[in-house]
Amino acid sequence: MSKTIKYILSATILILVSGDMSFSQAQSGSFKVPVYEKFSLPNGLIVYLMEQHEVPTISVSAIIPAGAIYNGQKSGLASITATALQFGTKSYTKAKIESELDFIGARINTYASKESASLTAKFASKDQDIVLPIIKEVLADPVFDAAEFEKEKKRSLATLDRIKESPRSVLGFYWDHFLYGDHVYGYSSSGSPASVAKFSVSDLKTFYKINYSPAGSALAVVGDFESKSMKDKLSKIFSKWEKSVEPQKNLAGEPIATIKTGRVLLINKEDARETTLLIGGPGIRRDNPDFVAIEVVNTVLGGRFTSWLNDELRVNSGLTYGANSYFSPLKNAGTFSVSTFTATKTTEPTIDKALQVLNRLHAKGIDEETLTSAKNYVKGQFPPDFETATQLAGLLTEMFWYGFDESFINNFQNNVDGLTSAKAKDIILKYFPDKNLQLVLIGKASEIKRIAEKYGPVTVKEIKADGY
Amino acid sequence: MKRLLCFLLTCLSSSLYAQMKAEDVKTFTLKNGMKFLVIEDNSIPNANMYLFYKVGSRNEHPGITGLSHFFEHMMFNGAKKFGPKMFDRTMEFNGGANNAYTTQNVTVYTNWFPVTAMETIFDLEADRISSLSIDPKMVESERGVVLSERSTGLENSPWNLLGDAVNATAFQEHPYHWTVIGYETDIKNWTKEDLEEYFRTYYAPNNAVVVISGNVKLDEVKRMAQKYLEPIPAQKQPNVVHLVEPPQIGERRILVQKEVATPYILIGYHTPDTKSKDFYALDILNSVLTSGNTSRLYSALVDKKQLATSVFSDFSESFDPNLFQIYGIAAKGVKESDLENAIYMEIEKIKKEGITSQELQKVKNQKLMEFYNKIETINGKSNNIGTYELFFGDYKKMFNAPAEYEKVSTEDVKKVVNEYFKKSNRTVGILKANVEE
Repeated sequence: MSKTIKYILSATILILVSGDMSFSQAQSGSFKVPVYEKFSLPNGLIVYLMEQHEVPTISVSAIIPAGAIYNGQKSGLASITATALQFGTKSYTKAKIESELDFIGARINTYASKESASLTAKFASKDQDIVLPIIKEVLADPVFDAAEFEKEKKRSLATLDRIKESPRSVLGFYWDHFLYGDHVYGYSSSGSPASVAKFSVSDLKTFYKINYSPAGSALAVVGDFESKSMKDKLSKIFSKWEKSVEPQKNLAGEPIATIKTGRVLLINKEDARETTLLIGGPGIRRDNPDFVAIEVVNTVLGGRFTSWLNDELRVNSGLTYGANSYFSPLKNAGTFSVSTFTATKTTEPTIDKALQVLNRLHAKGIDEETLTSAKNYVKGQFPPDFETATQLAGLLTEMFWYGFDESFINNFQNNVDGLTSAKAKDIILKYFPDKNLQLVLIGKASEIKRIAEKYGPVTVKEIKADGY
Repeated sequence: MKRLLCFLLTCLSSSLYAQMKAEDVKTFTLKNGMKFLVIEDNSIPNANMYLFYKVGSRNEHPGITGLSHFFEHMMFNGAKKFGPKMFDRTMEFNGGANNAYTTQNVTVYTNWFPVTAMETIFDLEADRISSLSIDPKMVESERGVVLSERSTGLENSPWNLLGDAVNATAFQEHPYHWTVIGYETDIKNWTKEDLEEYFRTYYAPNNAVVVISGNVKLDEVKRMAQKYLEPIPAQKQPNVVHLVEPPQIGERRILVQKEVATPYILIGYHTPDTKSKDFYALDILNSVLTSGNTSRLYSALVDKKQLATSVFSDFSESFDPNLFQIYGIAAKGVKESDLENAIYMEIEKIKKEGITSQELQKVKNQKLMEFYNKIETINGKSNNIGTYELFFGDYKKMFNAPAEYEKVSTEDVKKVVNEYFKKSNRTVGILKANVEE
């Protein structure tokens, strides 16, 4: 039992990309990304190298444009393809990959999120010649073993049923579908059982062929190595990853239907004892020039323990264990949400209070002292986000993916400091939705449907129905 | 709550010793008995302070179950200098953040801050340790918060419900019988006096260990500790927990209903406390069973037989003898009894044939990587050094652990499996939708 659920309060930190980095730099007030090298291979793969010698390990992060937005009608295909990358390659069986890695305590993870697929790995520096060739084959030469795929499909179908037992695990999938509608951003990364059940191994092979290519992908390697020899090694190994010739169809730039009215989606979970909910609307793109300022303002509203949402809903009224708010930016769009949960019988006062807090932000703005506090907080908490090689490797691939460079990090502190209360007012007006609010509630419909109707026309779905 | 897992290290290489040595941990003890462990690490301009209090749900009794955890919350609700809300407001204004956790054994307060805020952190901690004020209004609203915390845990994870039931069944006399969060009726019932009594008894400087890591200087830490914390008087040592769980003399089973797609199973075996000579062999067994896809249980149950969709195990630090737990979720259409029997089959195999030397070496290699993960951050350093100090009795044991793991042989692992993994010593919990059949 903890004071707060850390994952909730850290939700904002995930998108608050910011950098550290060394004491002397911090003292001078300007945080800098540690020195790194960036180069591209003839096949188009972008490679980042950064030396970090605190522990004798190496962290790898790769990003590939192969996320759920490329699923088409096959919901869940990107995810299962990413998982299946490790089901055997040209020179390694699945069993061989696992025994090689487990024996040396190395880990490779492959997964797909909404926009991209990722590979992350961590291993001892001394084992780089064992692990790097495996990583290359996992990305470039997977064979998608049919027997292993059938086993995974069964596990995956069971997992899809099971995650609906936890409202917190699926709320975001309903939310995205409700806000983005039929746009590819409405696709969940998890997929639906009805769709996954129909997959065959050839679906994975086709998806792979179209979407996994070194061109458009990036690989970051951070840790205990010497850059020159690592560069030679990576160039040799990864140049053999062949470019795809199939055209990739990216629909993420298509317009998203504007939401013109407040609406409520109520997902009925018969055995629910509490209501788990999101309130919000459209948010921002990741490349928004006001990104840092928005994060500071959100810190006041719902980005830390003393935020107005947590203060009102938890500290003042004991309605919930936690309330927060966050932006979820993507390349071409984003959403904003207020997130909390409460006992079924206190659903109404909880929603009302959350709305009051949001209204207060618009009506009264942020006082000088609170703004200063939020700025101090955001600045004080970001160095630990970039302390490890794994975190830095993630930062580099994120820079590649969203098209920002180290100036975003290096100017972070100045950008925070530059936020005046006048500007904060503009930020609130421009980016924090207060009209046509969208609500997604998971709870016991028979007890909360009437309450939900207060906030807009209600659509009811059964949690056991397929998909989101 | 799940006790924090920190298995840590085995076979540390010489290069590791070069990176962090026992001598890098500086220690001093204030006149009031409060012990400090300090690690200077200037990799980032931040620092942390972890305060470990030797109080957890094992110190409670029926009527006040959950009070340790509730108290953890009340420590943020106002003291003499910094009134209600001011602890968090002051800390966050200065760029700091905090959290806290309570387990069966300990309550731990964690502060993370830019090093420039360290003096403020000392001031805040000293205020609440010396002069917490328990405001009845805050008690009432905090009851709601904790009831929500309890309910959201049960709502979102079947493991909470099943884990609670297995502990309550496996422990009939020892306080591990009840949950860390406590009974709902106790949460609604305790009084201001109960809280005050708890504070006096357990929140004494001599009942705490403080670990500070980051861009700090030992002398500065010492100066602030002396200024802010040394004036707080020591208290008499709290009573020891005298309850001992009698040996289990027959298998126990417990069935729990929840709307789930497939059954969940949890098997707990009574095992000794962390200071036991068998700790390292059991810890290695834990990895052999479920760490990675080549582990015994994953390979047999999830991969080859496809009886489970996931399987994992837990063997954590504990002051008193606790459970070695094995968790599994049945695959679709699989009877939970088939999954259960398949788990026993793997255990029986180890009882008869032991583990291979290859497996033993694999686990030792994995432990080394785990160790790197733990000491890579200043938070990892503080949490693990504090954990060793409390549970192993000396932070230096963290640095001796490699030798301890190195000593473990395949025979030792076989021996502990035979000793503890007996039918009569286990409690089996099943959670499923239909419990009427």
